[in-house]
Amino acid sequence: MSQNYDADKETFMSVPRKKIPWWPTIDYNKCNFCMECNKFCPHNVFAKTNDEKKKLIIQNPYNCVVFCRACAKTCAPDALSFPDKREITNLIKKLRAET
Amino acid sequence: MAENKICILPCNGLDKSLGVIARQVALKVIEKNPKIELICPVLLNTGEDNYENLIKSSKLILIDGCMTRCATKLAEKRDSKIIMKILIPDMSKKFKIKPCKTLTLDEQNEKLVDLISDLVVEELNKFEEKKVSVSREIEKLDYFDITIDKYYFRVPKVGYFFNENDCWIKSEAKKALVGITDYLQNAASDILFVDLPDIGKEIEQFDDVGSFESSKTVLQLISPGSGKIIAVNKDLRDHPEYVNQDPYGKGWFIELELKNFEEDKELLMDGPNYFEYMKNKIMKEKNHLYQLKSEKNV
Repeated sequence: MSQNYDADKETFMSVPRKKIPWWPTIDYNKCNFCMECNKFCPHNVFAKTNDEKKKLIIQNPYNCVVFCRACAKTCAPDALSFPDKREITNLIKKLRAET
Repeated sequence: MAENKICILPCNGLDKSLGVIARQVALKVIEKNPKIELICPVLLNTGEDNYENLIKSSKLILIDGCMTRCATKLAEKRDSKIIMKILIPDMSKKFKIKPCKTLTLDEQNEKLVDLISDLVVEELNKFEEKKVSVSREIEKLDYFDITIDKYYFRVPKVGYFFNENDCWIKSEAKKALVGITDYLQNAASDILFVDLPDIGKEIEQFDDVGSFESSKTVLQLISPGSGKIIAVNKDLRDHPEYVNQDPYGKGWFIELELKNFEEDKELLMDGPNYFEYMKNKIMKEKNHLYQLKSEKNV
């Protein structure tokens, strides 16, 4: 299920996807650039770079499926973290109420 | 009897420490429980007869070093019965020991091998104790359905609620069953292994509460409801194919004692809404794939 949609048009629970800050953060002090997460993610969230210090970056944050943390399972050095799920749920509720 | 034999198949990926750990775990497990038989992945891959026969008639523990999941792929090709799956990165996090960078394991990684092998042996004992099935009666359902290309998708018309992560919840009084939708089982294709959570665990809405794996991918069950896990579908250990065959019935994953389903429902869709959502999602994916193909052909 490779996806690289136009993020501007995407919604999640009727909220514009771009208003939901859900994607992994890479801890560069822990990441060993094994690229397992990049190989795993079918949504092209990650990308490789030539920067020696940041060989892996978050390229398409809004491609990340909200509440999915499957890539973190592949990360042996535990270098991937996600936002607080409860905060994101509350934000979604608030944004839904506003519309 | 061959049917009762338990075998362990590690990935043996010797080009990184994760693979070395996988191999060492397998060796340690058979040292701790000599009844378990080791299958060499390299020899298996050559089509060696003894191993081919053994793997088809035994219960299998798989140890994968990384997401290339070589052991899983070897097992999947042979239609074998997987009873336990270990992914070393997962274990590394669980026991808070980082894999070393060298191919010779350091003291900490040797400790990790020991901890994982202990866990495998313990889980195996628990597995033998937990054979009693916990089937749940699901009445005959009325479905919305659609066929797109070679895939057939169904969504129950009533009684089920869905999140946008393609998981369902079906409540009855204060309890509810939770599982994945036809869309997600089709996306995964043939499911080989289901990893279920511990009974008694309190979960919040949208927590991941289990994963399932095919040769294609690993996906998560993201719970549409909050509450306490009071049962898991142990039948899926022996029959992960139930999830493909009957995702809204025999393929349920967990049972919850609900905490606040009325509030949970605010962020869920009913059958008709989810069916529309699912159709849109499938069509978007189809169009996207078509676009990619067209770009390639230009």
